[in-house]
Amino acid sequence: MNVLIVEDEKSLAREIEKFLRSENFLCDLAFTGTEASEKIAINLYDFVLLDLGLPDYDGLDLITEARKLNSEASFIIITARGDVQDKVKGLDLGADDYIAKPFALIELLSRINAVARRKFRVNTNNISLGDFEMQLQSRKLMNNDHEVDLTKKEYDLLQYLALNRGKVLTRHQLYEHIWGNILDDQYDSNFIDVHIKNLRKKLNLHSPTPWLETVRGVGYRISSEEQD
Amino acid sequence: MLKLKTKLSLFNLLSKIIFTALFLALMPFLIQRINLRQVDNDLIQKREQVIELISEIGIEPFISSDSSSSFGSYNILKEEFISLEKINITEDLNYIDVTPRLLDEEETDYRVLNYSLIVDGQKYLLEVGRSLDSILRTEKNIKRLMLIFLVSIILITFFADLQYTRVVLLPLDKIRNKLKQISDPSLFEKTPVKTSTSDFVLLDKALIELMDHINILFQKEKEITVNISHELMTPVSVLRSKLENILLEKELDPVVEKKTEESLTTLHRLQSLVSSLLMIARIESHQYLREDTFSLKDLLTEIISEISPVADDAGIRVLTDINDDLTVTRANKSLIFSLFFNIVNNAIKNTPREGEIRIKGKSTNKGLILSIEDTGKGLSDLQKKMLFERFRMKDPASSDGTGIGLAIAKSIADFHDIKISVSSEPGKGTIFSFVFSENS
Repeated sequence: MNVLIVEDEKSLAREIEKFLRSENFLCDLAFTGTEASEKIAINLYDFVLLDLGLPDYDGLDLITEARKLNSEASFIIITARGDVQDKVKGLDLGADDYIAKPFALIELLSRINAVARRKFRVNTNNISLGDFEMQLQSRKLMNNDHEVDLTKKEYDLLQYLALNRGKVLTRHQLYEHIWGNILDDQYDSNFIDVHIKNLRKKLNLHSPTPWLETVRGVGYRISSEEQD
Repeated sequence: MLKLKTKLSLFNLLSKIIFTALFLALMPFLIQRINLRQVDNDLIQKREQVIELISEIGIEPFISSDSSSSFGSYNILKEEFISLEKINITEDLNYIDVTPRLLDEEETDYRVLNYSLIVDGQKYLLEVGRSLDSILRTEKNIKRLMLIFLVSIILITFFADLQYTRVVLLPLDKIRNKLKQISDPSLFEKTPVKTSTSDFVLLDKALIELMDHINILFQKEKEITVNISHELMTPVSVLRSKLENILLEKELDPVVEKKTEESLTTLHRLQSLVSSLLMIARIESHQYLREDTFSLKDLLTEIISEISPVADDAGIRVLTDINDDLTVTRANKSLIFSLFFNIVNNAIKNTPREGEIRIKGKSTNKGLILSIEDTGKGLSDLQKKMLFERFRMKDPASSDGTGIGLAIAKSIADFHDIKISVSSEPGKGTIFSFVFSENS
């Protein structure tokens, strides 16, 4: 998939690019609004990651322009933390999602994937985790036709790990994903540990869960399918 | 310390009393003079009447030319007399003096007008007199009347003054109340107080201008905080993505992996600090909206369901007793959520295993009250005092906190006019109480 990264902070743009390339995206960079405007007019992108804090352009105008050009690109807005008005305006103009700086690259990826799943109706296959099967559409975890009773938070946590299979997610990344920004100041590594503990307890009543790994000192990971 | 209106009224009263005292001191002298003049005029008038009478009917009815040489007439109470007698002196007499008269063996002082007149070639002395007693009595009467008059005037004007100063100074009270009610210069009522006194108009205007000025300065300061925090977020973003990219590399040396995660954790602390400061600055500069209405019970239920896995894990029971009908209006729900989440989470962290957290909500005449009570280790007086100050309350028990959570809680409460009070007994527990003001 084709992504245009519109970000005036060059080193940040390059890190995003590096990360998305490793996830097999095709990336293009624009450091100014003018540059972005030209690139959107010429090229076809699936996604535009748009930082609203551009020095030469009101980022929201780019969305309007793209819509006029009948561009199919999905916009994900990158806002400064707490700029609620920008977020609302952006979503009103037809942006698909927004993410506040500083964000986790993994979180960015999962937002892109979520938009992609909605847009192309792909990737909605169920995910198998050992003896369990995660049904993304109905948000259910099944074990041999029995539904495992999970709380919303537990399911979200498991799905986030499953969608980022093979990658280690730090507690903070998980916390941010589940609880968002409003409780940022309340970050407590214990929260994630407790939820994982409860999750393991519930799943182990049905089947063992060797695939849900604790990476010491780092975080948690669901091992890649090959290693199952 | 006296109120202005009391002072003014007292001064008024005092000046009146002094004035009256002066008047009273001078009064006998004045009244005496006025009275004497009046008496003298009376005497002269009587003399004229007698002269007129004589010229009409002649002197005979009073003094027959042969039998007697004098005529005297007293009224019944001997207060006044008129006498006429023949005299043989050459000079003319016309004067008033005080002379004693012997009447019924009793000497009485009279004020007497002496006047000589010639009728038919014979000189007569006409005396018209009034007793000093009656003069003094009149004087006394006048004095009493004056005194009653003065005292009533003083009393009436004093109360009138009191009332008037109260009315005139009313705008001052209003201005004072305007100042008293606010906790932040931006909340100062900008509509001028209604008054016809130019001093108050000026005072009110000066205050409004001052508040505006302070407000602008405050606003600038907060904007600076917002801007600095914003600027800090950019390098944090860059560092964060760099570190995350390293962590995602395949075949990473476990030592490097661990170190990177540690760096990320430190960076998260920085990020969390900056975003907390940003949040406080935004709350204080009123960048959040207050337009949510929600049930307090539902909100707390939501918070408890979020937090119960952690509470269960820590072996702490969370009990609630919140009335169903408590509605919070004109609030920012996510901020209030954050506020109580923070307090409940803190309570859990500070309560040992098997402890309890009791959350009670009720409606009182003071407004909604929510209290969150734990059976934790409690707070010392010093801790209580510094509880809501930024970076002061770094709890050694929690490694993740930045010591700013309660400062955020405080600014959220202030933003919503919620009064927080803390009571605590070391070793027994702590109670946080939140009183929602009527308009929140």
